[in-house]
Amino acid sequence: MTAQVDVRLLSDIQRYGAADVSACFSCGTCTATCPLVSEDATFPRRMIRYAQVGLRDKLLSSKELWTCYACGECSESCPTQAEPSEFMAAARRYAIASYDRTGLARLMYTRPIIGTLIAVILAAFFALFMYAAHGPQSTTSLDIFGFIPEALIHDLGIVVMAVVFLAGLAGVATMVRRLGTANAVTLRAVVGSRAALRRSAGALWSALGVESLGQRRYRADCDSDASLAPWYRRRWFLHASTMWGFLGLLAATIIDYGLALAGIKATGTPVPIWYPVRLLGTVSGLLLLYGVSMLIVQRYRGVERSVRHSTAADWTFLALVWITGVTGFAIELALYLPSAPAWGYWLFLFHVAVAMELVLLAPFMKFAHAVYRPVALFFLALAVHE
Amino acid sequence: MTDKQRRIGVYVCHCGGNISDHVDVDQVVAAAQAEPGVVVARQMMFACSDSGQGEMERDIEEQHLDGLVVASCSPKLHVVTFRGVAKRAGLNPYEYTQVNVREQASWVHTEDAQGTTDKAISLVRAGIARTRLTEPLEPIVVKTTQRTLVVGGGVAGLRAAIGLADIGLGVFLVEREAELGGWVGRFDEMYPTGKNGRALIASLIDEIGRRPSITVFAGAEMVSKAGSFGNYQVGIRVGAASPETLTIEVGSIIVATGFDAYQPEVGEFGYGIDGVVTLPEFKELIEASAGPLSYHGRAVRSVAYVYCVGSRQGDAEPGANAYCSRYCCAATVAASVQLASRDALVHQYHLYRDMRTYGKFELMYTESRKLGSVYLKFADDAPPAVAQDNAGHLTVTMRDLLTGGEELAIPADLVVLVTGMIPCKNDELINVLKLPLGRDGFFNEIHPKLRPVETVVDGVYIAGACQGPKNSSESVASGLAAVTQSAVILKKGFAELDPLVAVVDADACTACGVCLDACPYGAIEMAAVTARPTAVISETGCKGCGGCVPMCPENAIDLRGYTDAQITAMIDGLLEVAVA
Repeated sequence: MTAQVDVRLLSDIQRYGAADVSACFSCGTCTATCPLVSEDATFPRRMIRYAQVGLRDKLLSSKELWTCYACGECSESCPTQAEPSEFMAAARRYAIASYDRTGLARLMYTRPIIGTLIAVILAAFFALFMYAAHGPQSTTSLDIFGFIPEALIHDLGIVVMAVVFLAGLAGVATMVRRLGTANAVTLRAVVGSRAALRRSAGALWSALGVESLGQRRYRADCDSDASLAPWYRRRWFLHASTMWGFLGLLAATIIDYGLALAGIKATGTPVPIWYPVRLLGTVSGLLLLYGVSMLIVQRYRGVERSVRHSTAADWTFLALVWITGVTGFAIELALYLPSAPAWGYWLFLFHVAVAMELVLLAPFMKFAHAVYRPVALFFLALAVHE
Repeated sequence: MTDKQRRIGVYVCHCGGNISDHVDVDQVVAAAQAEPGVVVARQMMFACSDSGQGEMERDIEEQHLDGLVVASCSPKLHVVTFRGVAKRAGLNPYEYTQVNVREQASWVHTEDAQGTTDKAISLVRAGIARTRLTEPLEPIVVKTTQRTLVVGGGVAGLRAAIGLADIGLGVFLVEREAELGGWVGRFDEMYPTGKNGRALIASLIDEIGRRPSITVFAGAEMVSKAGSFGNYQVGIRVGAASPETLTIEVGSIIVATGFDAYQPEVGEFGYGIDGVVTLPEFKELIEASAGPLSYHGRAVRSVAYVYCVGSRQGDAEPGANAYCSRYCCAATVAASVQLASRDALVHQYHLYRDMRTYGKFELMYTESRKLGSVYLKFADDAPPAVAQDNAGHLTVTMRDLLTGGEELAIPADLVVLVTGMIPCKNDELINVLKLPLGRDGFFNEIHPKLRPVETVVDGVYIAGACQGPKNSSESVASGLAAVTQSAVILKKGFAELDPLVAVVDADACTACGVCLDACPYGAIEMAAVTARPTAVISETGCKGCGGCVPMCPENAIDLRGYTDAQITAMIDGLLEVAVA
């Protein structure tokens, strides 16, 4: 099939970052130096080329976009300072915006001021919505669900989850269809036979277990500052800490809800710190806060080559996660105080509003990588296993 | 025999192992020592080193040597070096013989050590045999006419004329067209500085006008050349309406006749379709319009450049231009930058084989990419195709090697065929000058690195794009190099030539005329120097090729430095070993 050359694609992607990539003359040094490149995935040069020539479909069907962990090695070795690593990040933003049908992601990415406004207004909306149903603030003990009814939070959460699920599913479906076609992976090839199922299970374990939870390649191949920093300050650990913390908190919330359903413990019942679910939540929260705080510090200092360039989208994501984490801890602190402080209630309202927003905006912002990257890694694992 | 009286020094060089690894130098020295007339025979690690040369000079002076033989490398490399040794030590340089035991023995026979050594010995014996018969020779001194003819009034010729005038030489400048200026005179903005070509030419013409020693003939052609090195009589045909031929006397000639633009055949990359133009046509189009481009009344929103049209063609085709035209990549990139700076919204696609924006032009290439030009690389054997649909829209299709061989379609309002340089049609001039052409049809220099503007015709130099594709600054540089070379032979008023030329024994000559036909340089004529006509060889016209020597039925011609007696002695020297 003959494809039409289209120069608009590159300038479109440049709205997501990667201003310097037009200097690229396709020498391929980036691909040669990338520690992650394999026969099954060659980038960044090829991705840059797709953008320069305007092969939008090819670009959006590339698992390679998500195979990259932005270590920045390629940008360091680029003879024309075209910042290929920055291009890869911009292309991922472009992909998130393209997989999203609503146009919200595009708006958030390309209009940072409007995006920030949306974030603020949305948080304010959630807060006002919940405040509208508020009850009394008990001063004897911090009765947060007396202030904002648990049922309201629960129902609102369900609605937000449903919206996110639908939007996310649409995005993932778009991505899967594109990657499937580009990599010649059919449904039959994934689940059509016992052998196919075994292969798919292996690929799934590689994508979710080894690479996502285990961060194998991020840790082993992409740790650009490996020789410089102790393990607890390296990129992969900070990222893992944040991710594990987030997943731990998610698990604690689900278990807590399960305990309430099972009638073992009602949500909101004061429990000691060593209570298993509370302990899981606390440890997870600490991991999350440590990871995200360090990521913010590193990004702010901009010393490490992988975070030399930052966009509003990077900051928004980090800020929302950090606010959610910090306010959550502050509430926990307030819960253990002898008398209930008034700020505890307001903080709770703020916490819930921001957490809702974080979840609701997930498919439209950097958070979406949490789903798109494992999908791409699944296809990569399938290709490797072939 | 004069053998007994000769005092010859023989030096065998190790060349740091290049020779001594395969040749037993001790044996060679011993064999040389045993030769009659040899008074000194030594070996040296590097004969060409300062210490080696010094040792030879001492020997020549202290041992009163009258002949010198160095067995080392090719004479192409060091004959001048060792003639210099002889000269510094007070020995006539033509008493020196170089024997090539490296290229002719050690480098080519690495398997048979004794055989290689034997061959080296026989070569040295031949060299000694020749040296026994050498005679002191003096350079031929020629008085030169201190004027130069410059053929071609383009940027190279104009600048050369000014340069010649400024060092005090008289100049005749001949231009075929009615106007001076050539190609550069038709350009406005030129890369990489953006300087205006017309303004450059105007300032050069102005400079020429201020130099009375320059005589300009425009609308004129060089039609004949007589005389020899240092003193040429040249016929110039002037006047279009009533042509007449003037004769001028010059000491040297600088040929700066430039190039023609390659003209594609109709159908070649779509040439002939409305909207498909060559690079010079595109350049004119840009210069004729201000702001965004339009072609035949239609706005040009996208341009596709197809590179290497008429250049780097496959060797297989007869008359193919196998060479790279060098200037076109940079010229096209510059034009695209020029266009982009006028019209930020125009889309530009460059379909290339290799981008050769060498040197500082690389910066323009980067700038052009930053301004939005897209570069697509096609394979040598898969050129792009240009097609027009019913609505008149042009599309170029190609496979981009950088995008995994993806077939791409490029919509273009204008397709520019990036055409290169071809040699000028100059048959008459080529015939008059008798300059050799390269396979590419451009004039050939003697040596591309060391003698880049000299030709096999002494005193005739080439400059600018008549020698091969060049941009304007390279053309000017070679023009000025030709000025310097003219100065070398003209400024002193005389020049010295190698005395290794053919001479006629007038007594033996029967004036049969065979040698006249044998001489490729027209250096022999019949003249009545004595009572009867005999063949007379011009010392300045003869190149010492030896072509006439074996043709003479009376053996009346000898070549100085390579006389029949010397060659015979060398053959005897070689055979001596072969029999032993």
